[in-house]
Amino acid sequence: MRRTVLVCCGTGCLASGSIEVAEALQKELAPDVIIHGVEDACFVKKTGCNGFCENGPIVRIMPDDISYYKVRAKDASAIAKSLETNEPVLRLLYRTGGKAVLSQRENPFYSPQIKIALRNIGEIDPADINDYISRGGYTALKQALGMEPQDIIAQVEASGLRGRGGAGFPTGTKWRYAAGYEPTPKYVIANGDEGDPGAFMDRSILEGDPHSVIEGMAICAIAIGSSTGFLYIRDEYSLALANIEKAIQDAEDAGFLGESIIGSSKSLKLSIVRGGGAFVCGESTALMASIEGRVGEPRAKYIRSVQRGIWDLPTVLNNVETFANIPVIIRDGAENFAKLGTEKSKGTKVFALVGKVKRTGLVEIPMGVTLRHLIFDIGGGVIDDMPFKAVQTGGPSGGVIPENMLDLPVDFDTLTEYGAMMGSGGMIVMDSTNCMVEVARYYTAFLADESCGRCTPCREGLRQMLMILTDICEGRGREGDIELLEEIGSTLVDASLCALGKSAPNPVLTTIRYFRSEYEAHIRDKVCEAGVCPELASFAVDPVKCTGCTLCELTCPVGAVSGKQKEIYTIDSKVCITCGACRQACRFDAVVAIPRRR
Amino acid sequence: MALEAISKQEIKSLIESYENDRRHALRIMQDMQRIYNYVPREGLEALAERFSCPVSSLYSLATFYRALSLKPKGKNVIKVCDGTACHIRGSANLIGSIGRELDIAPGETTEDGMFSLELVNCLGSCALAPVMVVNEKYYSKVSMGQLAGIFNKIREGEDQ
Amino acid sequence: MVITIDGIECECEYGEFLRDIATRCEIEIPALCNHGGLPGQGCCRVCIVEVEIKGWKTVVASCIYPVEQECIVYTNSDKIKRQRAMVLSLMRARAPASKEIELLCSKFGASRNERFIEQEGEKCILCGLCAKTCESIGSGAISTINRGINKDVSTPYDEPSEACLGCGACSEICPTSAIEMEEQGSLRKIWGKAFDLVSCEVCGKPYATTQELDRNAKVLGEPASRLCDVCRRKAIADVLAKTFGS
Repeated sequence: MRRTVLVCCGTGCLASGSIEVAEALQKELAPDVIIHGVEDACFVKKTGCNGFCENGPIVRIMPDDISYYKVRAKDASAIAKSLETNEPVLRLLYRTGGKAVLSQRENPFYSPQIKIALRNIGEIDPADINDYISRGGYTALKQALGMEPQDIIAQVEASGLRGRGGAGFPTGTKWRYAAGYEPTPKYVIANGDEGDPGAFMDRSILEGDPHSVIEGMAICAIAIGSSTGFLYIRDEYSLALANIEKAIQDAEDAGFLGESIIGSSKSLKLSIVRGGGAFVCGESTALMASIEGRVGEPRAKYIRSVQRGIWDLPTVLNNVETFANIPVIIRDGAENFAKLGTEKSKGTKVFALVGKVKRTGLVEIPMGVTLRHLIFDIGGGVIDDMPFKAVQTGGPSGGVIPENMLDLPVDFDTLTEYGAMMGSGGMIVMDSTNCMVEVARYYTAFLADESCGRCTPCREGLRQMLMILTDICEGRGREGDIELLEEIGSTLVDASLCALGKSAPNPVLTTIRYFRSEYEAHIRDKVCEAGVCPELASFAVDPVKCTGCTLCELTCPVGAVSGKQKEIYTIDSKVCITCGACRQACRFDAVVAIPRRR
Repeated sequence: MALEAISKQEIKSLIESYENDRRHALRIMQDMQRIYNYVPREGLEALAERFSCPVSSLYSLATFYRALSLKPKGKNVIKVCDGTACHIRGSANLIGSIGRELDIAPGETTEDGMFSLELVNCLGSCALAPVMVVNEKYYSKVSMGQLAGIFNKIREGEDQ
Repeated sequence: MVITIDGIECECEYGEFLRDIATRCEIEIPALCNHGGLPGQGCCRVCIVEVEIKGWKTVVASCIYPVEQECIVYTNSDKIKRQRAMVLSLMRARAPASKEIELLCSKFGASRNERFIEQEGEKCILCGLCAKTCESIGSGAISTINRGINKDVSTPYDEPSEACLGCGACSEICPTSAIEMEEQGSLRKIWGKAFDLVSCEVCGKPYATTQELDRNAKVLGEPASRLCDVCRRKAIADVLAKTFGS
């Protein structure tokens, strides 16, 4: 029987060795064509990211819909054999609740998902334009060419689609504004400078389904009357860059891009711009400055980019995920899209569920589901069933959300009311071994380095906030520090020049709001209960739990752990650098953080 | 590290492979970074001449963008992801251990010019945290015990 | 169009910058990175004000905010006072050696915050006016470098710059006197480079660097004047007096 063996070759699976798996499978299945003929042979296809990266490399057998996880090259012969015998390879199946499941539909990580932006990823070979076309690709572009630009925009408006990069501005409105301005040429830009630490949906889309972004951009260009576009993509995303480059070439060759799109009078020339490595370039005006070959400093947005954007000309800049949604809206109708989600946040959103969560990966679900559903039902809860402490959402512009707020729906507006934001969809789960003050210090350090440094509140405010937070983490916190942090934070919110500065204090302000007692413990008692801040914690071995397995001794980088196999180990606090490596290594929870009282 | 001679001709042909438009400045410097492991002064000055712009405006770019460096990097650049997911899964420990193993701090290069250590922003491989990338090869869920082996292997590869 | 600033009705054109309107109506809004000859930088954030449109209040930088509809402006609301004081306190920690900042701080009730780390001896507030000026007069000897909290202003490679003409425009425009220009006799030192000064043919005072005059001559296409500003003005006045005088 003819089958397709889909081997996930997203960055995550590649890192786990999926190329070797694909090659081994190809070798095993090479004689298949000779034995069974083309009609009935099994073919290997390399796909984009399946999202469940932690369990990669992932291999899927279609049309049987059997998924194998953590596949090694040496498993290839077993998989090849299973295709002959029709007996699945049990040991490679995903297990949940003691039961092995065949299909992704039975896997709790996948079953609640509804895929729009990620519709093709993991199903198609991103390097093959025909794969994209065979799943309805470029039909929306054909439709759009037959429509009045106003009708395309109306359709996008009716869908309720809002910008997936985080700001949530209505996409249709943006297009309508840009279409309404006289000056030409106009520009279309896809923002693929995914900078939020802990988010990788744009990378996945660019790698796994580049044509969906190209098609979305082409439809936008037709709607606003543009014939030039740019894709600004992080330089670190080498696979995404390679795939999008090929896709642009293939689309041009097939007549979907370039002069006279599908024989029409419209044209679109797309070029790739490799990001320079600056988080602030995720901000639209800084990104445009960067494309112009200047330093990526934002400008005040009193005059919007739709009126005066790149080279002072009307520009529509949308996020990669936003563009990937467009073809579906045009093809299947705005109503179908608007059926999903909440009243003000329509459709689905891709989330990167990472950190201390059991099932890590990319998840696409309708907006409005609760954080609890996302983290505990789809994500399976906290690793090792540790106590949940917080989830950080929205990257450095977002905030942390504590346990008692997990029933909040995730959409553009709700989390913002609570000081956090959905942002681009990063969800970082933290457990009791994560220190909230240290997390705030981490984000502040990140932003202090990544700010463009142009305006006083952001540059000098972050400098002082970072100093104070470092003091607190290292035991030099003072009374009044918390209030001062809040005060500086409020100035950043009001007085900074751009969105980076205005949202920069969110991690600090939310950790203070929801975990004030941790700050107080650091400042007053000089204690880091989580055992993260080295100056304020130390480690000891719990003699009841220790099995003498030697793992802690082997892991310790400075030789502070000693003991004999099968006996209880001890940590020499004079040598210990409180890096916490032994605690992470211990499988029996026997290394405990004890506050270092002064 | 012995610097390979920077050929003016090579720089010139690189610059001239792009149209004379200021917007290619970043891209050309990224190319230089790839070829020479840094943006050489000769390159910066040649570029200023090409665009008829002050050297200072390009120097400004080169110091602003993290993808560019004005000092040569080591033959093997170790990038340790310090994205949030990696951070809370112990990237700080990893950085500390690499530092001890190679006797360098982030941003530094070993004396023999073999390794540079860099902290980088999220590589989008959060599911595999903590992640380290050496010469485009990803190492996932890196534990400290693996480090010496990884670096020795890279050194051996260099010898061949 | 008429807008209200601090209760005063001000006539203005569509698109005019808010601070310009206020200045015309004799309402003072402090600013540091704004200079008549250059577009507002919008980066010092001392000129922040509150703008109310249809009941919605936002904080904007008045030097670069174009007025496009009727609005009510508050230049001294409690919020603005508080935020401006914080901005100035932060600035003071950045440039504790600047007398200008100290003065502004006392004027707007910004106290010195002893919790802040201060950059000893520093006068520069990184407004970038110097680099903008240098760029716009065509020298481009200095620029902002690095980013974030490591931002600075410097010549390339922190070396004396070939492009520098020693004209001193950067030092002139600096709102906090942060750029040192040393002059001794006919020698000027700036940005680590020494320049010979040319003396005025009339009064004998050293007034410009050779490089500056050469550049001016190149731009004008004729030999530059050998007179200092004062003497040149006087010479013009003399000519005018002779022509139109009684």
